[in-house]
Amino acid sequence: MMQSMMQSAKQSLRQRWQVFSETPFGCLLRLFVGRMFHGHADSDAGDLDLGVGVVVILLAMPGLLVSLLMFEKYGSFIRFLRGAGAYDPFTATIPDEYFFLVLSMVVSGAAALWRWDSIFLDRRDFMNLVPLPIGLRSIFLANLSAIFALVALLTLVVNVASMVLYPLAVVGSQPSLSLFIRFAVGHAVVMLLASACSSFAIFAVAGVLMTLLPAAVFRRVSLLVRFALALSLLVLLGTSLAIPEWLKQLSVAGAHRLAILPPISFLGLLQTVWGRGTEPFVAAMTRAAGAVLGAAFVITILAYAVSFRRSFMRIPETPDAGPLPRVPSFFSPVAPLRESVLRTPSQRACYHFVARTLLRSDGHLQVLSGFLALGLVASAATLSSAPNLHSLVGSSSPTAEFLSVPFILAYCVTVGLRFAFEIPSQLPANWIFLFWLDRERHEARPIARRVLLLFSLPWLAPACLVTTLALGGYTVALLHTAILILSTVALVEVFLSKFRKIPFTCPYPSFKSHSGLIVVAYLFGYVFFTYYLPQMESWSLSDPWRIVWFAPLLGMVLGGIHFYRKQMLDMDKELVFEEVSASGFD
Amino acid sequence: MLEARGLSKFYGSVLAVRDITLSLQPGQVLGYLGPNGSGKSTTVKMLTGLLEPSDGQVIFDGQDIHKNLIAYRKRLGYVPEEANLYPYLTGQEYLDMVATLRAMPHTRKDKTISSLLHLFSLWSYRHVTMGSYSKGMRQRILLIAALMDNPDVLILDEPLSGLDVTSVLVIKNLIQALSARGKSVFYCSHILEVVERVCSHLIILRKGQVIAQGTTSEVREHIGKSSLEGVFLHLVEERDVGQMAQDIVSVLSP
Repeated sequence: MMQSMMQSAKQSLRQRWQVFSETPFGCLLRLFVGRMFHGHADSDAGDLDLGVGVVVILLAMPGLLVSLLMFEKYGSFIRFLRGAGAYDPFTATIPDEYFFLVLSMVVSGAAALWRWDSIFLDRRDFMNLVPLPIGLRSIFLANLSAIFALVALLTLVVNVASMVLYPLAVVGSQPSLSLFIRFAVGHAVVMLLASACSSFAIFAVAGVLMTLLPAAVFRRVSLLVRFALALSLLVLLGTSLAIPEWLKQLSVAGAHRLAILPPISFLGLLQTVWGRGTEPFVAAMTRAAGAVLGAAFVITILAYAVSFRRSFMRIPETPDAGPLPRVPSFFSPVAPLRESVLRTPSQRACYHFVARTLLRSDGHLQVLSGFLALGLVASAATLSSAPNLHSLVGSSSPTAEFLSVPFILAYCVTVGLRFAFEIPSQLPANWIFLFWLDRERHEARPIARRVLLLFSLPWLAPACLVTTLALGGYTVALLHTAILILSTVALVEVFLSKFRKIPFTCPYPSFKSHSGLIVVAYLFGYVFFTYYLPQMESWSLSDPWRIVWFAPLLGMVLGGIHFYRKQMLDMDKELVFEEVSASGFD
Repeated sequence: MLEARGLSKFYGSVLAVRDITLSLQPGQVLGYLGPNGSGKSTTVKMLTGLLEPSDGQVIFDGQDIHKNLIAYRKRLGYVPEEANLYPYLTGQEYLDMVATLRAMPHTRKDKTISSLLHLFSLWSYRHVTMGSYSKGMRQRILLIAALMDNPDVLILDEPLSGLDVTSVLVIKNLIQALSARGKSVFYCSHILEVVERVCSHLIILRKGQVIAQGTTSEVREHIGKSSLEGVFLHLVEERDVGQMAQDIVSVLSP
């Protein structure tokens, strides 16, 4: 009986959805939701098209993993083994709730940043939809509904694992059902609101910029703003390392100094939802969370409405956007260096192609700036781990924390570039390289090497020299800079050991069975390059003669790569334009 | 049926077209010619209601199209200059979407789409996403989308772009067949030979202004040239094209 009722309800829902999706509004809604996931560039233009399924899994993973770890922390048997007694879940979980709030806001914000401009209708939508017999109001409302649907989906997917598993881990073993429901509902409601707030805040920024700025200026500024927002999200994520510890000591009521952080406001809201919001600070935080959420929601709608009128309606009067506008080139101190290291005509041509694509293509710049943001946040986190500035540069030699900063930046920029090389750009245009380049001349690696080095060292090495000079003196500055240069050269050689493509001219590498291992190798590489290498350097700089140890180490790395490449068959070194190598990103 | 009265369009302070007046009657195929930047696309956008004129009106069946754009577009088929389609939709999905948005009845929609996909040789590619279509295939999808609701007016902006020889011949004959059935066709193109073959009337545009108008033979006789190419060069091109070719060759081999 129950089963048949369920089945008929399911069937009725399906039929209703079928009927709705065949109405013009339903059809538009489906189209707009689809375009938000599939991107709005041509499939061969470099926009990574992951599909809804993969996006959903990627977004749900962080919450799932952290929730699973909570079973280890709150499991009654494990607590019994540790000798821990009963606890009040509403107080004991405050640091973890903060972490979940941060995670939820950062993942939702990152997803919204990724889809930053796909929420706005573009020229293609205009040319396909406006000539059809449908009202502009329908287009506007359908896209607005699609934005809400996207936020709802992001919010749900990002939090679904923690909404189910986390309450189970914390209060699942307690006998009271009402306690479980109170805890679970409070957690779910606040996580969903925080997540929605983060997504709406990002869309509100995009909408306001699009409303206030002319289209050309918006395109120029857009990347910078996204970079700044990504940096803010990373900083917010970074707070999850320190704040939970402080919260343990301060309690929520004593956390006035931290009130500026949005997750703290939502923590206040959580206390209120749990029925513990009697303290004035908690009440104030609850009001702040409501105000932030309301403002983000209202600004998103207003900004979207104005930008629809201002931008979408004027599309036929504006020229096609094309690539990012060219930044006027003034005298570049790197130019003479560049011309001297680019020896052959094909190296010069390919270098300029790669450099211009990196600097003018939205997708590639996003990847590069994402890795740079990661490097900056990691550097800031490393420096902040030292108690004060003086301790960074000790009396005999600078500390490893100080020395590691250029290594972190070099690693992140190099990996970012290497990753960006795999993102294709206008594949049908690669015929020019197919036509002109000699596949057997092995030009791919020299070109990629020059790009990696010229995009990292010309700014990183002088900055490293100047800062170390100011803090550590001539000898230390020169030695540190020399080691940075040589290590970066070795790192680049390792990254390019099997490289045989002209960047951006091949399709995305396919997923291989050992792709996971490659990611782990990159993580180990990061630890070695940014932790052990600066440690060794710090030890060496205390007595400059010890620096000679770096010579055999670097010699071994470079010699090993040289030997490895000599062993390779000629056919494995040939230039390729399709994915045929053992691994695309190795 | 479709009329433009004194259409002008300014982009900021730049004049794109000035005082365009034309009329498109049932069964008429009107060729619209002009060099790049002469204002052809701007006129097309104003005729389709995508762009509001700075001055003048577009009248359809005696009414300004902007008074009821939806009703006008229901009777209009439009092939834009660029086949800017959604690459992640299949051809079938795209046509289904357009038919739904045109509010075509369900039964007619399915039948028409499958018949047209067969006739335009796209049936076997109907479930392939359009990102992997060739330029000609995308153009054929656009033609199907424009034709499938049996519109009274067809506005075609370079419809033969990227099509193979057979498709070009089919389209040329199709335009004439549609015209014989009383459909009005506004045909905007660079390909003089095709315009000469399919258009009954002609408008030539230069720097945003109409410089010749009438039946194809009237225009030819008026200018005193035997071919449309001669007419076009006489009216539009200020430079001697033969001399230009010679100059190019001399630059290549001085």
